[in-house]
Amino acid sequence: MVQNKKQHFIVIDDSKLDCFIAEKIIKNTGKCESVTSFQMAENALEYIRTQATPSANPTIILVDIQMPVMNGFQFVEAFEKLPENITDNYSVFIISSSINDDDLNRVHNYRSIRQFLNKPLTSNNLSLLLSKD
Amino acid sequence: MEKIKILYIDDEQNNLNSFKATFRFDYSVLIAATTEQAFRYLEDNNDVRIILCDQRMPDKTGVQFFEEIRNQYPDPIRMLITGYTDIESVIEGINRGHIFRYIKKPWTDTDIKSAIEEGNKFFLTNSMLKVKNSELQSAYDELGKFAYSVTHDLRGPLLSVLGALQIAESEEDPKEIREILGMMGVALNKLDDYITSLHEYYSLKRGKLVYEDINFENIVNDVAGLFKIAGSMEQIKFNVTINQTGTFSSDEVSLKIILNNLLSNAFKYQRKEANDKFVDVKIDADNTNAVIFVKDNGIGIQAEHIDNIFTMFFRATSQDIGSGFGLYNVKDALNKLNGTIEVQSVFKEGTTFKVTIPGRAHGTK
Repeated sequence: MVQNKKQHFIVIDDSKLDCFIAEKIIKNTGKCESVTSFQMAENALEYIRTQATPSANPTIILVDIQMPVMNGFQFVEAFEKLPENITDNYSVFIISSSINDDDLNRVHNYRSIRQFLNKPLTSNNLSLLLSKD
Repeated sequence: MEKIKILYIDDEQNNLNSFKATFRFDYSVLIAATTEQAFRYLEDNNDVRIILCDQRMPDKTGVQFFEEIRNQYPDPIRMLITGYTDIESVIEGINRGHIFRYIKKPWTDTDIKSAIEEGNKFFLTNSMLKVKNSELQSAYDELGKFAYSVTHDLRGPLLSVLGALQIAESEEDPKEIREILGMMGVALNKLDDYITSLHEYYSLKRGKLVYEDINFENIVNDVAGLFKIAGSMEQIKFNVTINQTGTFSSDEVSLKIILNNLLSNAFKYQRKEANDKFVDVKIDADNTNAVIFVKDNGIGIQAEHIDNIFTMFFRATSQDIGSGFGLYNVKDALNKLNGTIEVQSVFKEGTTFKVTIPGRAHGTK
């Protein structure tokens, strides 16, 4: 494992407060190169589609499930349809308040989803996640 | 009360004639000398409740006829009339024809009458059961949606606040902390809104309508107070025009739920950058009708979402806080009042809701 590697983050959550919390906690890890938040999944998708330069470490995406217009699963479906040279640059994590079994099981249907994280995001479980890589 | 509709099939014309003569005052009677004729009647009369059929007919037995129609016309009550009381045909009638009664020839008026009355009771109970079953199904479906939404909409804001608390604890800068507190307030307000909507939902589902004379001026004042303050803070022009002539009788609680939700949406879904924001309310009411317009020049609704806006938990925008409950409750309230709602919306230009509610005529209860 490379020590002190810096990473890019993308947070997708319709709740402004939850984006704020995630940003704060991500920045506090000290392993954050940048963090970009989106309250609408479509905008995040557009950003990812048009983002050119691949970085050394994959960008970490934290995406909520229940969002209006485009929900987390719809986002992942659309994301998986992007060309591989784009999707390879990202690791997708679900972050949700859902305790619904269907949601938890559905996560396994998507090859790009690495893990399901419970809200609220804490420094502990974020550090755990980062140390796994 | 409407007469019970009965179909009687017998190949002996005399029997048909005397049957019709005897019962035509009490029931609406259709008579058929052949099963073909009976089929035609069933096709044209979907309100036949009771079918009486003779067992011995030239082309087929009554049991065979019942067996044939059972799948296509399961609802009418089937009764077999026969002069032959062999046990085999009784068994067949019950097992294959699924008959309700077995009537012996020659019949007496009282035999037939009591059979029809009993059959009708059975028919009514069955139809009631069907209605109740479909109500139960939709209640179950809603419960399922509920359970899901409760985890998200009740738990979501709570977890947000917990997360924010955790950050605030390690934050030194008072300015930052105040900002976090503000956001916690927003999350808690959202939770409170949601609980209020749940309460409205419940009152609409279980509550009885209380009809009284409505003064729209008072209702708008009660409902709009909060919005006026919010409106002036956000520089939203709020115009109210009420034109009420005569006495309009309706349920005040339902009216308030309708107005409150429509106004709340109109104020909530403004275009932040617009500098001529407005919300117009226009109410025309007389003895028979109330027509309410709520118009805004806010963010509008995309055409593809219009059909879904009254669906529970549907949210068409990620702007600001919506419970996905508001318009569902509006629609529910209007259903109870026999009212209608129309929506016209242009995305990014604004939305107009038109609500029409019939007033309850005076003196009726």
